[in-house]
Amino acid sequence: MGNRVAIVGIGQTYHKSHRPDVSQMELVNEAVRPALADAQMNMKDIDAVFVGNMETFEGIYLPDHSMVDFSGAYMKPGFKIASGGTTGCSILEEAFHCVTAGIFDKVLVAAFEKQDSGDSTGAITAATTPAWGKGQARGAIHEFAKQALSYIKHSGATEAHAAMVRLKADKGACRNPYSHLKLGLKSIDDILSSEPLEYPLRLFDFCPQSCGACAIIIANEEETKKITNKPVWIADTICVHQEIFRAGAFCDFTGKERYSQEIAAERLYKRNGITNPRKEIDMAEVYEPSDWEEMLIYELFGLCPRNEGWKLVEKGITEIEGEWPVNPSGGVLSTNPIGATPTVRIAECVLQIRGEAGEHQVTKDVNTAFATALGGPNWTSMILLKKSV
Amino acid sequence: MTERTVEILEDSDRFVFPWQLAIPNTYPAGVVGSKFLIELRDNKKIKGIKCPECNQVYVPPRSTCKYCFGELSELVDVSDKGTLVTYAVSYEPTPVQPVEGTPVIYGIVKLDGADTGFVHMLGEVDPKQLEIGMRVKAVFKTKKKRVASILDIKYFKPLKI
Amino acid sequence: MANEPAQEYIQVTYKKPRPYRWAAGEYLSRLYRECRDNKRLMTVKCQHCNEHVWPPSKVCGRCKKPSGDNWVVVSDKGSVVQFTYTNFPMFDPHVGKYMTEEHPFATIDLDDCEIYWVAKLEEKDKDKLKPGMRVQAVWREEGRGGGLDHDILYFRTIEE
Repeated sequence: MGNRVAIVGIGQTYHKSHRPDVSQMELVNEAVRPALADAQMNMKDIDAVFVGNMETFEGIYLPDHSMVDFSGAYMKPGFKIASGGTTGCSILEEAFHCVTAGIFDKVLVAAFEKQDSGDSTGAITAATTPAWGKGQARGAIHEFAKQALSYIKHSGATEAHAAMVRLKADKGACRNPYSHLKLGLKSIDDILSSEPLEYPLRLFDFCPQSCGACAIIIANEEETKKITNKPVWIADTICVHQEIFRAGAFCDFTGKERYSQEIAAERLYKRNGITNPRKEIDMAEVYEPSDWEEMLIYELFGLCPRNEGWKLVEKGITEIEGEWPVNPSGGVLSTNPIGATPTVRIAECVLQIRGEAGEHQVTKDVNTAFATALGGPNWTSMILLKKSV
Repeated sequence: MTERTVEILEDSDRFVFPWQLAIPNTYPAGVVGSKFLIELRDNKKIKGIKCPECNQVYVPPRSTCKYCFGELSELVDVSDKGTLVTYAVSYEPTPVQPVEGTPVIYGIVKLDGADTGFVHMLGEVDPKQLEIGMRVKAVFKTKKKRVASILDIKYFKPLKI
Repeated sequence: MANEPAQEYIQVTYKKPRPYRWAAGEYLSRLYRECRDNKRLMTVKCQHCNEHVWPPSKVCGRCKKPSGDNWVVVSDKGSVVQFTYTNFPMFDPHVGKYMTEEHPFATIDLDDCEIYWVAKLEEKDKDKLKPGMRVQAVWREEGRGGGLDHDILYFRTIEE
């Protein structure tokens, strides 16, 4: 086992659909400064910088280069990771590996997406081969439409359940000062009557495109003790990649495949002696591009038996006041600065463990939480966080 | 339905698709970047930004000092004249070059009053006459053609002494 | 502050396409050639796990071992598992335009090979679509190689 590592500072921007007033790099800076302030540190104190972003979404390449001055990486070791939707989690994982291995003592990670700069769906479509892509690849929406259809077929969940997930997200988002969409939805009818996007997904079933950035500072145990009296410890991280399924990245028709979420959770729990996540972990911030996906995620992360995710929603278990809150921040359904989306999940877990989430603080005490990320053809990253180790 | 073209490499019977990534992108210049471009458009002035801590003047202006990570806001005038730090002459056309035709002469100019090099193009000069250290001056487009773009400066031309 | 004019923010738009060449490689090229020249789908059956590898690839997606060269014909008939449709335009980065797709997309379970393929349906009337319906590929008269759109127009509902 390597050095213990804790999160000692977090910072995020207010997330919006458009930010014409800042450049991409200034947006990163907007998250880095509050993270430093939160940790009461100077850029001089940081040993290395890990940055993340989805190249081609903004039409720039090597964003780590133009970001150097704004992320504070000037004359420091700097690394960029782009791993699709998991990017914002991968940077923290890699930073964690370096600190736990004793290579660096204090590391800053920063991720951003500025989706007013390009066309993310176009960029995702372009990520497929041009020969194979046209007709099959229609961005993330198409993949999650297929996922929803599969989920309906296998679980018996109805549109009303998906709408309940969306309503829960909006409740959280309206209480979260940083969230992007604050719709003030009154009932599930608001969601069920929103315009069709791609059958069976409606506009409100799917995540928005946000501009935003998030930064996190981590440190080894010795430094952590000097920096803060409210550390949040990184108990473990895990990353699992899966081959794209035969006809869908996020749903399996053959019944023979295993989802990366399932495998990641299984390994993470085993390594950390967790036999019942519903009892031994208090809450989670998960990466749910659609409300349908959130219900499947409950199952894959072992919060309930397979095909029963919708029952958790029905019983209100995953509400802010519920027995096992999921995404009290409003989640990805409310805020989605893609490269930074997983980083926001982690930062939100930190707020909950510290008890600093303000109006969207969950009712129960939070000592242990996990944040997840989902990307590309069914990739999963998970970070297990604890108040004390 | 847009038709697609397909090529087959003759020597190996394998398919190669000549294709393109055609997504238009928008790049916000940001607070100080916008002021810089507006000054080019409205006043034919080149602005830098000063870090009072490190006594550095950056051109184009940026909102963070790379040395001290301080937040910068003090815009200053720099000269439209400067010294050529280095250059490259590009004879091969590329699909993404900033102007039509070749050769395109790229140069880094240290403007008088600035501490950083400014990347632009050189014009009204025979590539053979280029020399590191030569004095150059910005040539602006006419008012009608200036649109708050880095290309509102047409190029830098040698300054005859 | 109130008396100061609002700051003007400059945004620069860049529209030039970035060209590139994409090589299909050995296995896909074989499939594309079969599509173009013989109007049929072909792929390899993995020499280790005996599954159909789709799309054809040197490495089996299931067992991660070299899939070998046991090429077999794949049925161009199948059953619709599920379908989606949309009526809002989506940006096609390869063409550089927003395009609206009129045809529904279906996940099709091709006969006897456990290949689930997403392709367009000819039938645009949503009321006539249902899971389990039988469909067959309609091949272009002049195939160009490249599979899918290049060689197959869509899948047509068939009565059996």
